[in-house]
Amino acid sequence: MTLVGSDGPAPPALAPAPVASVVDLRVHFRSKAGIVHAVDGVSFDIADGETLGLVGETGCGKSVTARSFLRLVPMPPGIQAGGSILFRPHRTCETCSGNGCAVCHESGRVPDACATCEGAGCETCAGSGYLTVDLLEIPEQDLRTIRGNRIAMIFQDPGKALNPALSIRDQLAEVFYQHRSAELLAAAAIDGEAGGPAGTLIRRKAALRSRLLEDALLSLPPLRARRNKLRAAADDRIVAALAETQIPNPRKVMDRYPHELSGGMRQRVMIAQALACDPDLLIADEPTTALDVTVQARILELVRELQSRHRTSVLYISHDLSLVRRVCDRVAVMYAGRIAEVAPAEQIFSDPSHPYTRGLLAAIPATSHERGRLVAISGTVPELINPTPACRFAGRCPFEAPVCRALEPEPKPTRDGHQVACFIHHPPRDAADGVPTFDRQVR
Amino acid sequence: MQIRDYIIRRLMVLPLLVVGVSIIVFALTRIGGSPIGIYLSHEMSQEEVAELEERFHLDDPVPVQYFYWASGVLRGDLGWSGVAAAPVTDVFLPKLAATMELAVSSAIVAVVLGIALGTFAGARRNRLPDHLTRVFSISGAAMPLFWFAILLLIVFWVYLGWFPIGRSDPDLWARIDHPTNLYTVDSLIAGDFGAFRDAVWHLTLPAVTLGYGATAIIARMMRSSLVEELQEDYVDAARAKGLPERLVLRRHARRNALIPTVTVIGLSFGFLLQGSVVAEIIFQWPGLGRWMADSVLRGDQATIMAYVLFTSVLFLVVNLAVDVAYAYLDRRVVLGE
Ligand SMILES: Nc1ncnc2c1ncn2[C@@H]1O[C@H](COP(=O)(O)OP(=O)(O)OP(=O)(O)O)[C@@H](O)[C@H]1O
Ligand code: SF4
Ligand SMILES: [Mg+2]
Ligand SMILES: [Zn+2]
Ligand SMILES: [Zn+2]
Repeated sequence: MTLVGSDGPAPPALAPAPVASVVDLRVHFRSKAGIVHAVDGVSFDIADGETLGLVGETGCGKSVTARSFLRLVPMPPGIQAGGSILFRPHRTCETCSGNGCAVCHESGRVPDACATCEGAGCETCAGSGYLTVDLLEIPEQDLRTIRGNRIAMIFQDPGKALNPALSIRDQLAEVFYQHRSAELLAAAAIDGEAGGPAGTLIRRKAALRSRLLEDALLSLPPLRARRNKLRAAADDRIVAALAETQIPNPRKVMDRYPHELSGGMRQRVMIAQALACDPDLLIADEPTTALDVTVQARILELVRELQSRHRTSVLYISHDLSLVRRVCDRVAVMYAGRIAEVAPAEQIFSDPSHPYTRGLLAAIPATSHERGRLVAISGTVPELINPTPACRFAGRCPFEAPVCRALEPEPKPTRDGHQVACFIHHPPRDAADGVPTFDRQVR
Repeated sequence: MQIRDYIIRRLMVLPLLVVGVSIIVFALTRIGGSPIGIYLSHEMSQEEVAELEERFHLDDPVPVQYFYWASGVLRGDLGWSGVAAAPVTDVFLPKLAATMELAVSSAIVAVVLGIALGTFAGARRNRLPDHLTRVFSISGAAMPLFWFAILLLIVFWVYLGWFPIGRSDPDLWARIDHPTNLYTVDSLIAGDFGAFRDAVWHLTLPAVTLGYGATAIIARMMRSSLVEELQEDYVDAARAKGLPERLVLRRHARRNALIPTVTVIGLSFGFLLQGSVVAEIIFQWPGLGRWMADSVLRGDQATIMAYVLFTSVLFLVVNLAVDVAYAYLDRRVVLGE
């Protein structure tokens, strides 16, 4: 599979493609009490260059959805119960070198062309002409060329997501060695094709393949110079990546260990690491939750700025709607393993349609105290063990009708770019025998 | 503080600790009574005994006796061994070499095998390799050393005759020089492959006996700390970077899992020295342990003191090595506290 730099320009005729589409994703967990349907039929698109917010209470399945992109949900106890995550790798637009032009719809990136039809549209790419991979299906080896390279992830607690035993330099260098090995060799003016044992050794070093003994050999005089040049090439890139996240003195910080840095600094390092290979999609799973309030604002600002500079698409996860409002173009609201509502950010706030979203908005002032708990909505999130078909919000919903307990509402468009899964907006038309139609009753 | 400065500081404190240890060793041995017994025979008269006591300063107060002993130690005079019928100093070094050859080869095997086995099992948690390793570790930690040694002796020496006991074939031993008294090393220096094979062959049974328990403990510790580390966020973060699983394990999880394991490795070296007494007796290995056992039975206090002093110093050094390794692996350790 050729993901990076696949040749043949994408035909300009095609419309911009979503960089990723989650289709009916189902991830369950085996537990003593039964099967937990943590994510149960989630679908949404992430358009190229946009920031999509994913919000919901704690335990609603946000992290499981996010981790599914990189297949990081532990299995067992997890079960991949269905669905797919389609991903379309992009590359910098050749016409404008990333500055934005008509060919790339001003995004600076163009999707790689489908390998089977070379852009004409065929069955493999569902007629789109774009290279499309199902992240849940591709072999592990191909997935690894995407992880950290085309899709990167930042975690909630940077103090735990950085390895305490390795210096910042060592941790960032890994990304470059793993994905930019050839580029590093070229920058260090080392002949990547050189034969003989010396060439093999340095190539293995650059690809993170060298073992203890080989490293020892590389630290001896005849090979040391070459190894140092390789290191210098990696260092230059590390410093550039750190500087981009506004870390002062990157050359000094590079030699530090995670525990020597503040929380905000560590998260900057994580962001630098994530953006090192200029990914198409950045997944940020509550990147500011573990930080001080004052630091939160600055990190948020940084993500926003880097996003617009790199034109990276972002999946921004949070339980805090007020945060999401400041960074996201569109917002998907999740409840108990399902999508309740997807809409452009301003619409979610000015005109929320789903009863749950309304509850969330009413709860905004309270959420800053108790993490992810909804004070304004009475009741608790339902058990996700072997659920029956019904609206997951039934029981807490002030507008509940008998049909809400008998059928499961699907997200359907209400107006342009706005999808809602609620029978208020989509009354079931031909109800089956014994199934009541929507009969609004306000409690 | 730099690790190098830390080592230098620790080394400077070491002599003080040794003096402290030597006082305790001396006092504890004296509690066992006067050391004169081993030097007496039935024919001696009362006057002769008194003369001996006078010569060895045994009629002086105990602190003065300590002073005589300690200054002797500093001059390299550890006293007379009644058991070996020779000065302790002369017998000590060759026997020490024999014990060290046994203990160090067991330790190397135990560390390498224990870490490898623990990693292998921890990465395959609750699957067959993990269960097999658990059986291996539990039996290794639970089986009495003497019983395991006798079992090996009966099966491989008495019954199958595959391995010898003792330390070497006398003919092969006489064939080469012994500059280090480590027979494996001596034979390599002499370039005598036959003698080397013989040395390793003799070493096998006692080394396996000694190393099994330590391997088991190290593997167990490594396994459980690796399982714990594999749950950490930074492991997923490493996967999210695109690293292959073998590097996630080698560069990330294993490095942190080694931190608690290093402490266990330090402790199990003490286990090895203790075990060497049993292994040396059963396999007729002419080392310190066997000599020590004889000395205890016959009240040879000069030898006992030398041995205890030596093992104490060894422990101090191993302890230092463990602390340094710890500081190197765990960057959060604040050196000098
Ligand atoms: N490793 C796991 N083992 C078992 N169940 C799990 C596991 N991970 C997640 N779950 C289940 O999936 C549900 C959703 O978890 P998830 O971490 O996605 O929630 P979240 O929306 O990210 O919440 P938070 O805001 O607390 O991060 C949990 O309630 C839990 O029941
Ligand atoms: S479907 Fe029914 S229960 Fe569910 S949110 Fe809409 S009105 Fe409330
Ligand atoms: Mg989460
Ligand atoms: Zn362009
Ligand atoms: Zn195609």
